[in-house]
Amino acid sequence: MKMNSMIKITSLAIAITGLFCGIATAQDQSQALGKSEATIELSYYKKTDMSKTAVAVIKAKNNDGKFVSAKNARVNFYVMHDKEQQLLKNVNTDNNGQAVIMLQKDLPLDEDLSFTIVAKIENDNLYEDAEEQVHYKDANLTLNLNPNDTARLVTAKVTEIGKDGKEIPVKGAEVKFYVHRLFGIMPATDDNTITTDEKGEASFAFPKNIPGDTKGVIIVAARMEDNEQFGNVENKATASWGTVLAMDKDPFPRALWEPYAPLPLVITISTLFGGVWFIYFFIFFQLRKIKKEKQLKMR
Amino acid sequence: MATEKYNLKQEIETVREDCLRPTQKWGRSTQTWIGCLLIVMGWGLYCYIHQLRDGLGVTAMRDYVSWGLYISTFIFFIGISHSGTLVSAILRITKQEWRRPITRSAELLTFVSLLFGGIIPIIDLGRPDRLPNLVLFGRIQSPLMWDIIAICTYLVGSTLFLFLPMIPDMALCRDRLTVCDSPFKKFKKWLYTKMAIGWKGTKSQWHRLELTMTIMTIVIIPVAVSVHTVVSYIFAMTLRPGWNSTVFGPYFVAGALYSGSAGVVLGMAAFRKLYHLEKYITPRHFDLMGRIVLALTLIYAYLNLNEYWIPAYNMVTAEGHLLSDLFYGSYSKAFWTCQFGTVLLPIIIMSIPKGRTVTILTITCIIIVAGAWVKRYLIVVPTLLHPFMPIQEVPGTWSSYFPNYVEFSVTAACLAGIFLVITLFSKLFPMMAVWEVEKGILIEHDKQAAIELRTKREAEEAKIMGKRLKTGFEPLK
Repeated sequence: MKMNSMIKITSLAIAITGLFCGIATAQDQSQALGKSEATIELSYYKKTDMSKTAVAVIKAKNNDGKFVSAKNARVNFYVMHDKEQQLLKNVNTDNNGQAVIMLQKDLPLDEDLSFTIVAKIENDNLYEDAEEQVHYKDANLTLNLNPNDTARLVTAKVTEIGKDGKEIPVKGAEVKFYVHRLFGIMPATDDNTITTDEKGEASFAFPKNIPGDTKGVIIVAARMEDNEQFGNVENKATASWGTVLAMDKDPFPRALWEPYAPLPLVITISTLFGGVWFIYFFIFFQLRKIKKEKQLKMR
Repeated sequence: MATEKYNLKQEIETVREDCLRPTQKWGRSTQTWIGCLLIVMGWGLYCYIHQLRDGLGVTAMRDYVSWGLYISTFIFFIGISHSGTLVSAILRITKQEWRRPITRSAELLTFVSLLFGGIIPIIDLGRPDRLPNLVLFGRIQSPLMWDIIAICTYLVGSTLFLFLPMIPDMALCRDRLTVCDSPFKKFKKWLYTKMAIGWKGTKSQWHRLELTMTIMTIVIIPVAVSVHTVVSYIFAMTLRPGWNSTVFGPYFVAGALYSGSAGVVLGMAAFRKLYHLEKYITPRHFDLMGRIVLALTLIYAYLNLNEYWIPAYNMVTAEGHLLSDLFYGSYSKAFWTCQFGTVLLPIIIMSIPKGRTVTILTITCIIIVAGAWVKRYLIVVPTLLHPFMPIQEVPGTWSSYFPNYVEFSVTAACLAGIFLVITLFSKLFPMMAVWEVEKGILIEHDKQAAIELRTKREAEEAKIMGKRLKTGFEPLK
């Protein structure tokens, strides 16, 4: 009996030791392979031209234990179809750790009319395996700017695509309004987030003091950002509602503090030093004549 | 008459021999001197590589004092470079015959100090590889840009000014070097031949040379003045206490002439002693140069008074803090030593005829040159330590400055470089313009002959007049 229990205890101890050794070996192997722990952040975008994209941002742990952008990681994009993953494309991440793919317009839908996109790192040489998936419904965001509307009402309408392609208004969706500027976008108002009503519409009166281009044209953008149901959906429209930008005919007049120097300064410096250099060239010419004279004599 | 001709020929031959003697042998002392200079330059180069590799942080310069010993030395060297213009060009234009034995050393001093003066701002750059950007993307409105243009123009001009009077001498060296039994002599022959540019001494060659020299003499003076004026603009056009002054242009030019002329005296004394040129560079030369240095020191003292007296009378806040520091603060000892020791004292010494003897004038000029260097440091550094915005919440070391071993080593290497170029030059080329000295002898000889002829004629005329008076004839008209 004692013998049996001794054998059992010994076997258990060996098994536990073996298990720990196995885990340690696996970890050692992983470290020996030099693979970094990686995370995936997956986003879905639907743009004005109805194009759909999926963006995976990959971050990996560096030697200091900090997550930094993972370059050149191979990301496999899948779409769920009949509970099976169908490979769309594999893309390597860029310097910012981003992998982007264009999605097909008609993605396979589940019973609840939603689609699932999966991004995976699988058997990568540099990074450990990782997976992330998003689950969204298809929605349309339309933007209406009536050029003749004196109230300058901007109306965005959010609709969900139903079973037979019918558009169903979405209530309570948050829409953000922006105006395009030269180097980015600017919130159209201080509180630019407006929630849609029963008709799926979100409206606000466009401010009067926003500068447009030389004809007063502005580009308004409406966005649903990181919406739980629909992801990122955007639409843009133009109207002549901005103030007309009066272009300065001479934005950089010649001055000491501008890129171009005042003409009198340029002329003075050029004349003074140009004159001196002209004399130098004359001297060089004379020296050449002295040298040539010798050659003539030798002939 | 034949004996006279023979004497003249012999005198000219002696001049040639005396001038060319130093170029014919390289003694052990010369080799040791060159070796020492190379060691200093090597150490300086090592320090500069250290600075290049690890950045300007290895120097004592920090955020506030970003121009330290390097830029002070740059202004000092540019100042010394005015020597050639002053002695050679001004004395040439005013037809001062006594200039002849000293022009070459003055022109050489200009060329060398300008060469190394031009290098120092590059040394002061943390990223010298970006220097081409200054030319490619430089703004013509910037005084720094004017500085580059002016210094390059002056460097080319002073090189030409040094080279032109050397042409006949190079031909002389070429013709005299007949035995080329060593590679070095072959190299010298080749160098002289190239530099003589086929000089045969024909009438038309002399005509062209004299024309070009006259033109260069006239042109180099305004160019030299422009260089130091523009250097002063780098400071004066900056809104900083102590720098933003309308008198800075003439003040810098006067300071340059004062230190440059003293530099020429030192060059004269050194070459006179080392190459036994006592026969040519006489105490009279020192006396005359002493008078010039005295006149320039007086002008410099007058401008110094204007530079400090007017702001000291007003004592406007920021300017007041700076002046307080200079007058009775941390820089007061250096400031007053400069004012009294290197300006006032030399004026007193050089005003006395005995103060213009060879030894005393040389010592006085050493004091002037050293003082001019310290003065440049006092122009650059204290102002940087007195910005309009108070220095606060920075490491304590940023609010003071004294150059460290890197800066001293690199600066010493530049100075050694100047000495090295001068030494090599004097061992390859005659340090006096042989043909100019010969011309001086001929002019002197002609003068003597003319005086003798005139005396003879006058004596003869007096004799005839006496005879006519005795015989009662009317004197002939």
